[in-house]
Amino acid sequence: MSMRKTLVLVSGLLLTTTVAGALFAQSDPSDSVPGDPSDPGVSYADILRGFDDPSSWLTYSGDFSGRRHSPLTQINRENVNRLAPAWTFQTGTLTRGRGFETTPLLYDGVLYVTGSNNFAWALDARTGRPFWTYQRDLPDNLTYGRVAPVNRGFGMLGNRLFMVTLDAHLLAFDRRTGNVLWDVVLADYEIGHAATLAPLVIDDKVVVGISGGEYPTRGFIDAYDPATGDLVWRFYTIPDWGEPGSETWPNEEAAMQGGGGTWMTGSYDPELDLLYWGTGNPNPDYYGASRLGDNLYTASIVAVEGATGELKWHYQFTPHDIHDWDSNHVPVQAELMIDGEERKVVMVANRNGFFYVLDRRDGELLLAEPFTDTTWAREIGADGRPIVLNNDGSGGCLPDQWGGTNFMPPTYDPALELFFVNARETCSSYVPFEPEYVRGEATTGGVVWTDRDVEYGALRAIDVMTGERLWEFRYPSATMAGVMSTAAGLVFAGDHQGNFMAFDGATGENLWYYPTGSRIWGAAAMTYILDGRQFVVIPSGTTLVAFALPRYEFASPAGGR
Amino acid sequence: MQRTPGTPVKLLAIVCLAAPLHAGAQVSNPFEGDARAIRAGERLYANRCAACHGADGKGATGPDVTMLWLEGTNDEHVFQTVREGVDGAVMPPSFAPDEELWAMVAYLRDISTVPPFDPAGGDAGSGREIFAANCAQCHRVNGDGGTLGPDLSNIAAVRSREALIGSIRDPSETVEAGYRTVTLVAADGERIEGVVKGEDAFSIQVVDTDARLQGYLKANLRRFVHEDESLMPRFGRLRLSERELDDLLAFLGTLREDASADR
Repeated sequence: MSMRKTLVLVSGLLLTTTVAGALFAQSDPSDSVPGDPSDPGVSYADILRGFDDPSSWLTYSGDFSGRRHSPLTQINRENVNRLAPAWTFQTGTLTRGRGFETTPLLYDGVLYVTGSNNFAWALDARTGRPFWTYQRDLPDNLTYGRVAPVNRGFGMLGNRLFMVTLDAHLLAFDRRTGNVLWDVVLADYEIGHAATLAPLVIDDKVVVGISGGEYPTRGFIDAYDPATGDLVWRFYTIPDWGEPGSETWPNEEAAMQGGGGTWMTGSYDPELDLLYWGTGNPNPDYYGASRLGDNLYTASIVAVEGATGELKWHYQFTPHDIHDWDSNHVPVQAELMIDGEERKVVMVANRNGFFYVLDRRDGELLLAEPFTDTTWAREIGADGRPIVLNNDGSGGCLPDQWGGTNFMPPTYDPALELFFVNARETCSSYVPFEPEYVRGEATTGGVVWTDRDVEYGALRAIDVMTGERLWEFRYPSATMAGVMSTAAGLVFAGDHQGNFMAFDGATGENLWYYPTGSRIWGAAAMTYILDGRQFVVIPSGTTLVAFALPRYEFASPAGGR
Repeated sequence: MQRTPGTPVKLLAIVCLAAPLHAGAQVSNPFEGDARAIRAGERLYANRCAACHGADGKGATGPDVTMLWLEGTNDEHVFQTVREGVDGAVMPPSFAPDEELWAMVAYLRDISTVPPFDPAGGDAGSGREIFAANCAQCHRVNGDGGTLGPDLSNIAAVRSREALIGSIRDPSETVEAGYRTVTLVAADGERIEGVVKGEDAFSIQVVDTDARLQGYLKANLRRFVHEDESLMPRFGRLRLSERELDDLLAFLGTLREDASADR
């Protein structure tokens, strides 16, 4: 596989600072070895500290908890209505049919950004101006990677960046040059695999997942050595034939091509050394007759040991799913006082329309309440399984195949004990049929009829103790945009019409909005503070837009956290 | 009845535009009109294409594929597009056998075209006058008429006679996106009726009954209501007799030929 790295010579280069000049000087393509001994880069301890240093953002959700909740308060309820664009970065790329789904990482004043079609950039976080651009030379016969040409971000450790690709590789880069240091194959893209998620760096491991559940594939979570790219462990989301869980498939053939992709970044509890990861739909998506049974561990959350990749527990949200309701969500961790006892929980707002709270030590189900108006099921039984009322849409509307929400990140504000999620209210029915297998073609096995006239979207605040909907703010159509919150009590959300908005988390009052001009799809905001100025960054269309208060608005040049 | 002559020059232009870029005779679909192939193609389409192009082909994240033939394409071009994918876009190439692709093309063509109007009955000349008196205030035909309602220049090529009768007799039964009625009440109490061209959580873009394009911030409106009723009045039998309806349909039917001759 040939690689192509493009150095972008910024117009006005001579006017850039000496720091930027020095970075350019290091951008010699021959410099493929991390060379600056004075800056060891990002340590695992730095990532563990998460939001303790809000002048950095070192992992997809900002920290391992998956909360996407920043401590920054310079932008607050009183001044957020004066938020204004600070800069815009135009990627010049295409992401037809999908979104610019990335969360940039920030280290030492530089944003590291991945884009669709496996572009990537290092940008000046103060101005949005690029240091380097990378584009992978992708093969012409991509499968799922052609359908969803997206990427959700880098992982980072030392001076290395990690990115997965549409032809299902994992790459390591030198963050200072954009040069590729190693390149390993995750899976065979020609049978339907691709990789789109942001790698999750834990202690001395780069953890990644795989896409391709619309094809006859078998999902897995992998951990790689950040230094060498060697595989440390692999966890298959569909067990080996004969292993526990395999009895939920009718035969080995159905199981081994039963999907269960792992294409959304999980969260991690370093004390328990447990990774929490969502798994995707069983394959074929809509045709269940060839895979009778629960189809473990598809449409589930799995808790996997970081050191070994061994399964500790699982919970299946949608047994024997026939709606393409992947459970590839960001699992959100919290500590809740339940019946006088502090419980370590993990929370998921699922594509099937239910909000779940589970004990993250053992997977015990603590709460499951619908957060959408679906008629698929209205309660989860004592056995932890949904009491299904209407599985094909013939008894009223079901959520469409994009679900009651999707992979776009939710957020959790621990001070308010509120979980915020962009919910999708849609109206679909499902007609399955037996698919025919053609190598490299999707085997969805059915038709979804959707009444687009009745859909809408809504930002919803869910009380995590009761599952009750505290407030909502409606959009005219179902959105695929994510959500971020801050300690100022603000919630930042996007919508399908391209509005980027700020809300009072306690009341749901809309405090500010900015029409970005293109839909916000699959991305949530991130935020950081530099030179005493807080920035909020959101991908929209194929641009990255940073917002900040006018310079005269913030009080102290040194503070404002 | 006024009809654009089907001039040889125009017809030649159509053939040239529609022909594939490479030389040689156009390849025809071996399954054209074959009911079994169309059924098979429907399933293949649902499996491989519907996720992006919509279960009904009207588009989802990918474009509407039911207007391709109306826009002048041909079976071979659609076949090649499915085979090779679209460069620079997300549509992938297909590795499926030729027979499957031709079956999909047969299905797409089947859902993309409507049978010609029954020519029996109806005086198109009289229909033109009925159109001018009752419809042209809001609907355009070949450049003439109003802009509030849909342009009807190609309507007979994309809607069956039965569907058109339904839209004339009971226009509120199905209203296309872009023509749905909204009533706004401005802060000063002014009442505005129009059709919605765009809307987000904070604003609405409207063409009002005076054909004025105007955007409104919802926060500045006293209220706004999405109406179930179309702005188009019902043309029941008292307003439009069966014979007049036939005449009007005969006139609309002529537009199919006029429109295709213009391509």
